[in-house]
Amino acid sequence: MFQTKRVKPILIFCFVLLIAATLASCTTQREVRILHINDFHGFADGYKPYGSDEIQGGLAELAARADELRAEKPTLFLAAGDMVQGNNWANLFQGKSSIEAMNAMNFDAMVVGNHEFDFGQAILKERIGEANFPVLGANVIGLSTLKPYVMKDLDGLTITVIGVVTGDTPVTTHPKNVTGLQFLPPEDTVTKYVRELRGKSDIVVVLSHLGFSADTDLAKKVDGIDVIVGGHSHTKVEKPALVGKTFIVQAFEHGKVLGVLDLTVENGRIIQASSRLESIKPIGKENKEVAAIVTRYQRQVDAVMNETVGEALADLDGANVRLQETNLGNLVTDVMRNVSGADAAIINGGTIRTSIKQGSIRVSNVYAVVPFDNYIVAIKLTGRQIRDTLEHGVSAIEEEEGRFPQVSGLIFTYDRKGPKGKRVKEVFIAGKPLVADKEYTVATNDFLAAGGDGYKAFGDSVKSSKDYAVIGGAMKGEKLIYSDSGRWLRDVVMDYIKTQQTVSPKVEGRIKEVR
Amino acid sequence: MKVFVNDREVNLITGMTVKHALIAASLIDEIKQGKKVYDEMGHEIGPGGALMEGSKIYVK
Repeated sequence: MFQTKRVKPILIFCFVLLIAATLASCTTQREVRILHINDFHGFADGYKPYGSDEIQGGLAELAARADELRAEKPTLFLAAGDMVQGNNWANLFQGKSSIEAMNAMNFDAMVVGNHEFDFGQAILKERIGEANFPVLGANVIGLSTLKPYVMKDLDGLTITVIGVVTGDTPVTTHPKNVTGLQFLPPEDTVTKYVRELRGKSDIVVVLSHLGFSADTDLAKKVDGIDVIVGGHSHTKVEKPALVGKTFIVQAFEHGKVLGVLDLTVENGRIIQASSRLESIKPIGKENKEVAAIVTRYQRQVDAVMNETVGEALADLDGANVRLQETNLGNLVTDVMRNVSGADAAIINGGTIRTSIKQGSIRVSNVYAVVPFDNYIVAIKLTGRQIRDTLEHGVSAIEEEEGRFPQVSGLIFTYDRKGPKGKRVKEVFIAGKPLVADKEYTVATNDFLAAGGDGYKAFGDSVKSSKDYAVIGGAMKGEKLIYSDSGRWLRDVVMDYIKTQQTVSPKVEGRIKEVR
Repeated sequence: MKVFVNDREVNLITGMTVKHALIAASLIDEIKQGKKVYDEMGHEIGPGGALMEGSKIYVK
């Protein structure tokens, strides 16, 4: 009796304690962190962006800071695409250098960006095989090595990361890179996976390479996304945008900042989110392992620059490209015309920056000739537009401006003393007189296609074009017949010389001055 | 693809970026001199940033 009297209150106390503990555990707040970068594009070393006197970025420093932040609380480290293409540090190794560094940085997941396809599907599969983390692409059909999502346990919380890439991918890379692939509308894909996975997850993250504006639309249209970690638009989102119940973040570009998103979760609900972008500068601590990878590949870049790719059997003239036809101008435009399959090629002489002496041609020589991050496009122009383009090209010959054209597949004569706009005389394409109303395909670089150096015809043609459609994984457009933003002109020219072994372009009378 | 730079319409090939819009609007030199580019929401964007049909960007 006595014992029963004593035991009963103890039991009640224990029961109350158990209930309290259970309630307390139910309301336990958990803090997790998401670190993120996007659009790294192989900028392993810091650099001075346009208009800045300050060096920004540096992968080894970014890695060291990520290590510090990761040590503070349970963390996911995510990459929102375009990691393997862009700078020479990545391009010369087809992105292998980027993946090796990302492995050392212990990324948890990455989504493919449009530029991950730039080296072709076989290389992309190799890169995915080398990655110690899942590479996501839920809306890409036809590439089985891409995973639609990954589920991670973080301090007892189940976090699902779904990856989606822009449907514009087929128009931003060479069509052959996406042959056989289908890019489904991201909204449909995310809706499907959120429906399937929301109930099994505490937090649903969409790792997006769609761009900030598209991320905002996605958040408006699809319920159940907690966080969108974005890329593609290179947007510096200092504070998380909140659309409905979805937080959207993005960390600028080139590893110049590290995105830090801290989430407090209670009862499977995010009750607090704060984010910041931490500036990365090459003055802080380095992650030694990553620093060694950066340095090792940079040494290889330097070595590659000294490699001989072929031989010039004559001096290649890049000095007079603003004044007259030159053999180097002919070489570069011939390559562009051949690669794009266009009827003709026209570039501004300013594309070519220096000459190459007769003898061995090194990679660095080619890179010095065409140093800019330009790519080849080909657009349909009428004969009239071609004439206008050439007129513009010779309109400032007195000032030796960079607009003076270098051409392939066409011959023209001009009178430099004639009034501007009426200097071009005869024009022939494929040996036949230019027909004003006939359409021809003309290769150029993206700079001129955008209206650079005052060239307007390419933009006018694009403006008059019906928009493009992606059909069967390839771009089809009314006026645009070729665009390969994933391959710089310098690399195209280098590959051509490598294939040919020797080059001996000549001045052939493509551009003749008459009176 | 039609986009707007400082409210001026420019036409670009789909897939072209902020850099191309600035070239088309003859504003690329302003960036080299230190001005920055912002989206409609006031976020800074990099020259390599993707654009969409109807994007509005501002050089400040």
